[in-house]
Amino acid sequence: MIDKALAQKVLAEALRTGADLAEIYVEDVESLRLGMDDSRVETAMRGEDRGAGIRVFFGNLVTYAFTDSLDEQSLIDSARAAAAAGTGSSSQTRIDLTERKSPLEYPVLKPFDTLSIEDKVQLLSQMDEHARAYNPQIVQVSASYDQLRRHMWLFNSDGLQVEDERFYTEIRGGVVARRNGTLQQVRDGFGGRVGLELLDQNDAIAEIESMCETAVKMLDARPCPAGEMTVVMCNGWGGVLFHEACGHQMEADFITKGSSAYAGKIGERVANPIITAIDDGTIPGRRGSLKFDDDGTPAQRTVLIEKGILKEYMWDLVEARRVGRDGSTGNGRRESYRHMPMPRMTNTFIDQGEHDPQEIIESVKRGVYIANMAGGQADIAKGDFVFNATVAYLIEDGKLTAPVRGATIFGNGPQVLNEIDMVGNDLALDPGKGMCGKGQAARVSVGQPTVRIPRVTVGGTDDASA
Amino acid sequence: MTDYLALAQSVVQQAADHGVEVEAIITHDAETQIKVSGGEVEQLSQASSRGLGVRVIDGGRTGYAYTSDFSADSIERTWRAARDLARVATADEYRALPELTPISDEDLEIWDARLPDVPATDKIDLLKRVERATLDYDPRIILADFCNYGDSINHVYLANSRGFAGQYGRTTVFSYLMGIARGEDGGMVNAFGMGASNFFDELDPVAIGREAGEKAISILGGKPVETQTATIVLDHVVGAEILSALAQALSAGDWQRKRSFLLDRLGQQVGSDMVTLMDNGRLKRGIASAPFDGEGVATSATRLIDEGVLQNLMYDSYSASKDGKTSSGNAQRAGHRSLPRLGPSNFYMQPGHLTRDEIIKGVDRGLYVISVMQTGGIDPISGDCSMGANGLWIENGEIVGPVGGVTIATTLNDFLQNVSQVGGDLRFIPMFGVIGVPTLRIDNVTIGGTK
Repeated sequence: MIDKALAQKVLAEALRTGADLAEIYVEDVESLRLGMDDSRVETAMRGEDRGAGIRVFFGNLVTYAFTDSLDEQSLIDSARAAAAAGTGSSSQTRIDLTERKSPLEYPVLKPFDTLSIEDKVQLLSQMDEHARAYNPQIVQVSASYDQLRRHMWLFNSDGLQVEDERFYTEIRGGVVARRNGTLQQVRDGFGGRVGLELLDQNDAIAEIESMCETAVKMLDARPCPAGEMTVVMCNGWGGVLFHEACGHQMEADFITKGSSAYAGKIGERVANPIITAIDDGTIPGRRGSLKFDDDGTPAQRTVLIEKGILKEYMWDLVEARRVGRDGSTGNGRRESYRHMPMPRMTNTFIDQGEHDPQEIIESVKRGVYIANMAGGQADIAKGDFVFNATVAYLIEDGKLTAPVRGATIFGNGPQVLNEIDMVGNDLALDPGKGMCGKGQAARVSVGQPTVRIPRVTVGGTDDASA
Repeated sequence: MTDYLALAQSVVQQAADHGVEVEAIITHDAETQIKVSGGEVEQLSQASSRGLGVRVIDGGRTGYAYTSDFSADSIERTWRAARDLARVATADEYRALPELTPISDEDLEIWDARLPDVPATDKIDLLKRVERATLDYDPRIILADFCNYGDSINHVYLANSRGFAGQYGRTTVFSYLMGIARGEDGGMVNAFGMGASNFFDELDPVAIGREAGEKAISILGGKPVETQTATIVLDHVVGAEILSALAQALSAGDWQRKRSFLLDRLGQQVGSDMVTLMDNGRLKRGIASAPFDGEGVATSATRLIDEGVLQNLMYDSYSASKDGKTSSGNAQRAGHRSLPRLGPSNFYMQPGHLTRDEIIKGVDRGLYVISVMQTGGIDPISGDCSMGANGLWIENGEIVGPVGGVTIATTLNDFLQNVSQVGGDLRFIPMFGVIGVPTLRIDNVTIGGTK
């Protein structure tokens, strides 16, 4: 997008007022989105985005300017705008850029253009038809296809030059079942840092039929009992609890400010010894996987908690510089060239345990099994979280019984991590639908084996049991 | 200076000469974002950006494409892509560009002529005062986190092949932060303070900072109460979160897709007579106000629920033509990268007369809810509503102490029916759309805590 000579010139301009470090992040993005709703292709959309962000570091002050024009004048103007906060001068006029290559490969086996737009629309139509044919109680169906190519280049005044061309494919579905006055919605999806081979590796029709099955089953759900009880969380997407209630607190920006419960606890026991938790940005094909992060740091696998002991946080460049740490953990991510990076998770999961998942359910006399969740929210200072289960069942005498609606689990992340007393041997990552919002959107994966939380507050609309 | 309205019109002209309908939107924005921590500027970001979005409607089939590259090649590639994509979309007889409506030139007071000239140093000073007001509130406030200032100067240029051509400018400024308090037992809580306006001079840094400090300190040390049914009094931020789900349930598009708990209840009493809900895209000094909506239809004020009776829905031109109505001017546009989308503008509950303290005084036993956590916990389709809550316990009209770690559960239906008092303190919260809400009293809510 921009050549080395231009990058050198722009970096020199950005350094002129005495900055410690200057960086150019260039991005070229192309997207296609097809969406079917109500049996109609209602969304057919293509987008192009191209631009650059210039970031300049003066100690702990970071300034940023971005432009959507990549010509020399616009880049120099942005460099000057970002440098304007500086009051010193720099003698560094020559920056030797050396391109760094990643050993990681995320091959695209089937490029986006191996299927026509009409074929992609056809897939959505089939999902729609199969869902409607599944059961007359399915009254609404939606399905969408997304492809995204996001190519980034990064140059900085330490001489770093990297690039990472990222391809993502995603399928999402949603169904609403209705019986009399009761409505039940189920949404799901799958995707990854892959090309159209995603559609060979996953059966979109089987996936939406399974959403229909769940929605119809949930029509019979009764109100969830409220109070404290044992909760068993499903494997895979169930890991969103760890992501929200613990993972964010291990992001370095919350650590350096001291607002996280994990600040200053490296080497201490923060979880039951059966818990090991990992952030791994190098897993083939996953949504959170990177060659280089958006600071230009190579992606890596970071053990956050090992057998209950806190080992490491997730760092980006800004926070690593703040504390004088030698490099980051490759967790600096940004939504686009219009944003500055911040510490973010990649693919984050609780590692494999020992228990058979069936044995975990059988161990519960009375509780709730959470099979799917709408996402969640956590309070960083306290670690308190709230999760809304979209699909949940009562556990009675070791067996899954009635489906329940409106279940909300409420608790404290660090506390729950200490209390989890059974971890399954069925580790799975989620199917590839995770989008994390922390001011900026980032594609992530979450994961875990089936886990048991012996005692947690469940909110529901049925307080008869209280 | 490029004449962007003329450019939008020329894109329409180029793309439309094959008998298709075309709409072009150009946005040109300048924005500043500042983050302060410990009295020092941590981040300062300044940028201007522009983009073109082209919507083509070809026999009821819609295609859309956008670009940030204004070269002649890229512009042509963009409208051609929109035309090609229209061919794979499904024809929908109701999908068309809206009829021309007269656009009033009334001043909506959404343009701060001074903002483009406010120096960054003034913005930094304001933000430092926000942070200081939180930290100075109480020694137990240990941190003012996410201390942010942002402003944007937006220009919208819209043209279509039915002859519409319009432009407006709007300024917005906002600031927010999170106050974090630590108690003697080491337990920590947090609360947000925020403010937003169209005008730089209307942002009150001390009020924003104090709000975060005061709220965080008030809920410090909260413990769960026993599970019970009681009255709740909702702070603005909490009420806004619930109202945002109601806004969705009052959108004609969601009705047409049978996705509203209020479905088929037009003309019926759906709430207590205290409940009057409005959407007004022409509100003076409204953060979401504009002379025309995202597809060039004049904005308007719509009375959705009047003293508990469901009267109207929000419409864009598509949902309106489906129902044989006229658009209420509710097509929203999140910039050049997206299609117009039906949604609320300035959505609010009509205020009453009581002060917050008067409402609390009338409660025998209940919870004044100051902050909630939820995601997907308020479902506009089923109406189910369940959230984690922090607040203050009320006994016999007096606040007796902080409460934390409880859940509140109701349904949106019960919420509307059980609104028993509405405060006079209407405040717009720009977090979940632009939602205006006074302090509210709701009865018969399940509070989940200890046994």
